[in-house]
Amino acid sequence: MTGPGIVWYLGVAAFLFGTGALGVLLRRNVLIVLLSLEIMLNGANLALIAFSRHVHNGAGQIFALSVMAVAAAEVCVGLGLVVALHRRRLDLDVDALSELRG
Amino acid sequence: MTGGAWLCLLAPLAGTIAILLAGTRIPRQAAGWISTASVFAAFGGAVWAFFSLRAQSGHDGEITTAWTWLESGSFSAGLQLLVDPLSSLMMLIVSGVGALIVLYSIGYMHGDEEERRYFAYMSLFVFSMLLLVEGGNLLLLLVGWGLVGLSSYLLIGFWHERPTAIQAAKKAFVMNAFGDATMALALFVLIAHSGSLSFATSFATAGHLSQTTVDLVALGLLGGAAAKSAQIPLHTWLPDAMEGPTPVSALIHAATMVTAGVYLIARTHPIFEQARTIELIAAGTGALTLVVAGLVALVQTDIKRVIAYSTMSQIGYMFLGAGVGAYANGMFHLMTHAFFKALLFMAAGAVIHALAGEQDIRQMRGVGALMPFTKWCFLAGALALVGVPPFSGFFSKDSIVAATLGLGWYGWIFWACGVAGAFLTGVYTFRLWFLVFPGEPSELVRRAFGSHEAGDEQDAEPRGHGSEPHHDGEGPWTMLLPIGILAVLATVAGWLQWSPKWHPFTTWLEPAARTLAIAEPTSTQEYVTSAVTVAAGLAGIAVAWAMYAGGRIAVPGAPAVRRALEHKLYFDELYDAVFFRPAAALANWTRTEFEEPAVLQTGPDLGQTALDAGGLVRRLQTGLLRTYVFFLASGAAVIAVVFLLVR
Repeated sequence: MTGPGIVWYLGVAAFLFGTGALGVLLRRNVLIVLLSLEIMLNGANLALIAFSRHVHNGAGQIFALSVMAVAAAEVCVGLGLVVALHRRRLDLDVDALSELRG
Repeated sequence: MTGGAWLCLLAPLAGTIAILLAGTRIPRQAAGWISTASVFAAFGGAVWAFFSLRAQSGHDGEITTAWTWLESGSFSAGLQLLVDPLSSLMMLIVSGVGALIVLYSIGYMHGDEEERRYFAYMSLFVFSMLLLVEGGNLLLLLVGWGLVGLSSYLLIGFWHERPTAIQAAKKAFVMNAFGDATMALALFVLIAHSGSLSFATSFATAGHLSQTTVDLVALGLLGGAAAKSAQIPLHTWLPDAMEGPTPVSALIHAATMVTAGVYLIARTHPIFEQARTIELIAAGTGALTLVVAGLVALVQTDIKRVIAYSTMSQIGYMFLGAGVGAYANGMFHLMTHAFFKALLFMAAGAVIHALAGEQDIRQMRGVGALMPFTKWCFLAGALALVGVPPFSGFFSKDSIVAATLGLGWYGWIFWACGVAGAFLTGVYTFRLWFLVFPGEPSELVRRAFGSHEAGDEQDAEPRGHGSEPHHDGEGPWTMLLPIGILAVLATVAGWLQWSPKWHPFTTWLEPAARTLAIAEPTSTQEYVTSAVTVAAGLAGIAVAWAMYAGGRIAVPGAPAVRRALEHKLYFDELYDAVFFRPAAALANWTRTEFEEPAVLQTGPDLGQTALDAGGLVRRLQTGLLRTYVFFLASGAAVIAVVFLLVR
């Protein structure tokens, strides 16, 4: 088996995950937040597949496929919410949507 | 065979679900037809199951398991249906009489605002009862038992804008919950000793238990049976349940619910036979109830309450029969009673319907002249109830009374109670008949039928008290057809069995519930009992005629007795004094003596402290997405770090 070692893959996966997490935490546009979420999921997927190859076990790839299916469903819901927000002429800013403040 | 059983069980459930899902997309009348069709389909399934069971050699029944429903250690219970002679008979009665009652409801409930909800509940009620009788183990029986209680609660309180209806529904539910609890306790004891709730295993185990244990189990089952079947001392809910619509009363009294107790005793008779004392207590309860209910029925003035007390009294006969070991006779009376009691309720309902909601029999004189069909059908039902040959009650009731004679001295007490009950039945039934049907129409009746008598065409005058005007004399065909069918059945159904001569019914039930040898009277005893009982019934009719129609003897004054009977022998007052008042007094005492001085007036103000603490925690809920994500992420990070460190 050739190619870079597992550490490189995990490094990239951690970078993707961190980027996504920072995006979710810091950005205010709802669409960007959703996009960042997807980047986090992809980071996790990459780690799963890398380990799958590393330990010669297909289970990790199956996990990744399931994560993609769930992510697709989640994006549908998320985008649906964005459309609903837009229809009601609300600001697409997560900081403006703070109705649940105690 | 099992296909029929499944069809019978699931059709009414499908009807309920269909009506609930369709909601307002279907017209109100359509709900009634869906419900009727579903219950008739159940009847078709019951007939199918019956005939395939008949074709089986020995016809001792079969249990079918759909899947294992519940499993816990060594205990497991399946979703099982039992088709045997007893359950197939009950399936026929429940779905057949139930179908006629639902059909009748279409006419009776026409124009009600909430017909859809009503018919969904009716189908649910029939489904619950079918689950009760078809359940292949005691656990499913208990599930059906609870569902019957629930659907009766929903239907008794159907007119939810009436406070009395809500109270009656609550009362029925609480009384029944008491019975459910004792029954559940009995089942717990059974599980503890036999590890199973299947009929075969628990009946086999009952023979090896200590006498005390069997007695406890039987007592618990009897508690459930008495609550469901409205036997003393758990009977007070039944008369109040008359607050529901009349077809509901017919369903509760004839096809479902109150017969469940008798079925339970017949079904679990191997347990009761091991606990002979408890079985005799059941018989004694029945004997007491049949006399007391007959006495109370003498002074009631509400047409439905008279019939309700007569149900209690007739169920008393069934308990008596099942309690002495004549299960087949009890079940036979259950069947004939289902026919004539449904008939009486529906005929009474037709009268109430025509009189726009009037239920006071003192206002009703002379309805018969204007409602001839209802009048003659009611007469058939009344004669069957009193047990005049050749009407059906004669064949079923007398055999129960005769079966008590083998028991020694207390058998004679039961026998005397049965005969006294027959006399009382004659008096109260024909008091109702003579007050309501014959004679000159009263003021109220003439007003209700005013336009028909005068023959004027315009029919413009608004009649009734809020109910819509009735354009036909007796009601729509959907009401008259079931009354007619049941009148025929109430007349001929008894011919199926005349115990001294032919007894196909007892033979049919033998594989499921064999009559005890002690409860098989000789032919002489049968003939003498029949003669005495019929004479008592006829004497009762004669007394009723002399008091209420002929005017030969005055209605006895006896104000103290009358007052006691009008208060239903003070059972409600007794329960109020024994259960409600002490509980209320105790609650009051703890409030004034403990809560106020010890909790509210000393120490920190608990309420304010809780509010302050809540105010602090509230700050954490910023409403900002980033805060929540931050907490989530840092929490995950902390867990990850802890995980790594611990390793």
